[in-house]
Amino acid sequence: MEDNIDVEAGENQFQPYLDALRKELEHQDPIFIIGIIISLAVVVISFVLLKYFLSSKTVQSAVLLVGLCDSGKTLLFSRLLSGKFKKTQTSITDSSAPYKAKNEKGSSWTLIDLPGHDSLRPQYVEKFKSAARAIVFVVDSAIFQKEVRDVAEFLYFLLTDSAVSRNVPSLIVACNKQDITMAKSAKLIQQQLEKEMNTLRVTRSAALGTQDGSAGSSVHLGKKGKDFEFSQLPMKVEFLECSARGSKGENGQADIGSLEKSLANL
Amino acid sequence: MLDFFTIFSKGGIVLWCFQGTGVTESFTGPVNALIRSVILQERSGNNSYSHDALSLKYKLDNEFELVFVVGFQKILTLTYVDKFIDDVQLHFRDRYKNELEQKGALALLNSHFAFEDDFKMLLREAEESSKARGPTSMRSFNASLKSQKTVKSMIETKGGDKGKEQGGKKNKNAKKEGKGEKAKASTSAQKTEENGNQGLTQEEIIQKKREEFIRKRMGAPVEKPSKSPKPVKEKPKGKEKRVWTLGGSSTKELDYSQSNGNGAHAAGDQGLDAQADPVCAFLFKMFLSPKKGAFGGMFGMLKGLVGSKSLSQEDMEPVLDKMRDHLIAKNVAAEIASQLCDSVAKKLEGKVMGTFTTVASTVKGALQDSLVQILQPKRRVDILRDVLEARSQRRPFVITFCGVNGVGKSTNLAKISFWLIENGFTVLIAACDTFRAGAVEQLRTHQRRLNSLHPPQDHGGRPIVQLYEKGYGKDAAGIAMEAIAYARNQAFDVVLVDTAGRMQDNTPLMTALAKLIAVNMPDLVLFVGEALVGNEAVDQLVKFNQALADHSMSDKPRLIDGIVLTKFDTIDDKVGAAISMTYITGQPIVFVGTGQTYNDLRSLNARAVVGALMKA
Repeated sequence: MEDNIDVEAGENQFQPYLDALRKELEHQDPIFIIGIIISLAVVVISFVLLKYFLSSKTVQSAVLLVGLCDSGKTLLFSRLLSGKFKKTQTSITDSSAPYKAKNEKGSSWTLIDLPGHDSLRPQYVEKFKSAARAIVFVVDSAIFQKEVRDVAEFLYFLLTDSAVSRNVPSLIVACNKQDITMAKSAKLIQQQLEKEMNTLRVTRSAALGTQDGSAGSSVHLGKKGKDFEFSQLPMKVEFLECSARGSKGENGQADIGSLEKSLANL
Repeated sequence: MLDFFTIFSKGGIVLWCFQGTGVTESFTGPVNALIRSVILQERSGNNSYSHDALSLKYKLDNEFELVFVVGFQKILTLTYVDKFIDDVQLHFRDRYKNELEQKGALALLNSHFAFEDDFKMLLREAEESSKARGPTSMRSFNASLKSQKTVKSMIETKGGDKGKEQGGKKNKNAKKEGKGEKAKASTSAQKTEENGNQGLTQEEIIQKKREEFIRKRMGAPVEKPSKSPKPVKEKPKGKEKRVWTLGGSSTKELDYSQSNGNGAHAAGDQGLDAQADPVCAFLFKMFLSPKKGAFGGMFGMLKGLVGSKSLSQEDMEPVLDKMRDHLIAKNVAAEIASQLCDSVAKKLEGKVMGTFTTVASTVKGALQDSLVQILQPKRRVDILRDVLEARSQRRPFVITFCGVNGVGKSTNLAKISFWLIENGFTVLIAACDTFRAGAVEQLRTHQRRLNSLHPPQDHGGRPIVQLYEKGYGKDAAGIAMEAIAYARNQAFDVVLVDTAGRMQDNTPLMTALAKLIAVNMPDLVLFVGEALVGNEAVDQLVKFNQALADHSMSDKPRLIDGIVLTKFDTIDDKVGAAISMTYITGQPIVFVGTGQTYNDLRSLNARAVVGALMKA
């Protein structure tokens, strides 16, 4: 009995308010009420759509061309987009353009050429790394022996980056400048890089922390206890050879068939 | 006359180039060197650069992201180059506006810029204009202003001497005017020309001094000495009130109590409103001030809010001044701060701002990017990897520490050796500080402590840290050489060479240091600098590098390779010394010392330092 009285009391408390609301709504024009409901619905739907579109935009719609200074990224960029040979200088900023892949679907995404200079590299990679669906790492095959430690350090920095290890973009290592006779083959470059990354795993983890206390990334490459191999990485890694200049010099075609095929398979 | 001229985008694609007749070598090398040393190191304050025998001048177009570079032989002095580059830039922009305005690189790649004819025409015009201007002829005396002045206006009512000098001047003029005068007049003029005490005879000097003495006793203005044979001038009528041409004679204008200055008044009245709504404040100011350009100013301000306003030097001036003072307050060296601000101004000039961005935010963003860029190392910095490389080549990795007195060389040497032995390398410390009392004993104490932390039993019975010392007073370079040879024989991994602190002005000591480095060719020359140093950092680093370059025998001298920034825990956020040091040398900061125990060794985080620097 008491419960019933309590419930009724509760209902009675709200009852006058509900009655008043109902009366108000009935007084108003029905079209007005419909208008309010529609606008609320539009707002909700637009929120949902916005979230959907924004999230899909940040996810992987760009292919980055990265590499050390003078490895041939800008020329490769020009060849992929227009097929022409252009003289190039050291890039100071990034260049981007839409690229139509040579496959049946004809999918197109953005190709972004980042500067390779050591002081600009980190900030540009920082800017574009979350939007990358694939990374084309360009290596100068002719002077690779001298630069192997720098190449490996950059590659290590890319692979242990938190955003990259989360999004897992596919990695294409393009061994450029194959038209020079002293160029190393892709297989040799892969072996040397694996050996170097093995050493880097040890030295990088022993490196000093930074002065404000933030330690470097704690991503461990490959399997612990075993020698590092590119097949141990969670992302698809592919080594291929190409020559942006082409064997016939400036006026000839570039030898980038394998690169275009890989890009088409993305 | 020109060797080459290139126009390329900031993304690296060359849009158009011109190579002078007879020039065979490619210009890519020099232009790349220009980009790397000037633009990327934020030294774009002055726009010329020399590389080997070539002199390069450049201009940045920030609106369309282009760079214009001209190169010519250094021995030629071409006067028309600056104006020529400006003309070419304007011409190119006007002609190819459509292609350049499109976003994305496709337009640049696909279009062909046929600029040769225009370029040749502009070059011809520039050369002709420089030839047309002949040498300017000197004005004759009669045409100058000085001949119009009377003697009286030049007199300063100070005393006899001044009057004498003025008189002398007048006579010099008289001599110049009458060139064909008689000998008598000329000799008398000549006598007066040597006015001043040197020309006067002994008696005249005594006379003059007597008069001064009398003047001082009497306190009255002195009569002009009658002995001098110059024409007698009128006596100065006491002190005349000096009349300033630009000064007001009444103080009424200084009274701001009434509504005299409209702008100040309006701002004061509307101050309370303005705080709440800055846009309203702008509008109020514009409406109430009866300036002629009020509408134009308001329009410009609104245009600035919406976008499509390009930055000019005047817009950036106040913001850059404030930023310069802010940097100096954060302990960046004064000339470095001003060079940085000039470089940022050059990089932003003409750039179109985005929507709803203010000038201040654009400039701050650009400055922040430049600072991060400066602090990023320009080469790979990984000491452990290099030590492993040296070990595989069966030679020790030699690190030398140099710096002024009391910056923390020995302490940080001990910290670095602690870090190295933690990672399993054997270390030999070479005590090349043979001057300071207790230097060798200090290193011996460190050696004992480090060995007790990592006892020899763990490493096959061999002590992991050893000290190579030869007492005091010996030649430092010789000790270093013997230490390195000993390390090679005993297969040590790393040799740390501690040198004595020395002031950068002390030439014999700098010579000795340069000799030590040139003879022993260490793998790494580290300059130890404390974070407390202010403008001195510039002087220290410049003089150290200079000494190392001057006294080395080879044509590729070993300069400072890296910087150790010590006493970082004593500065809170006045971290400007890091910027000064990296800007001057272009070398990275390899270690940061943050305390006085063995664990207080860190590496530099560029973003954190720049954040602390830009924080208000």
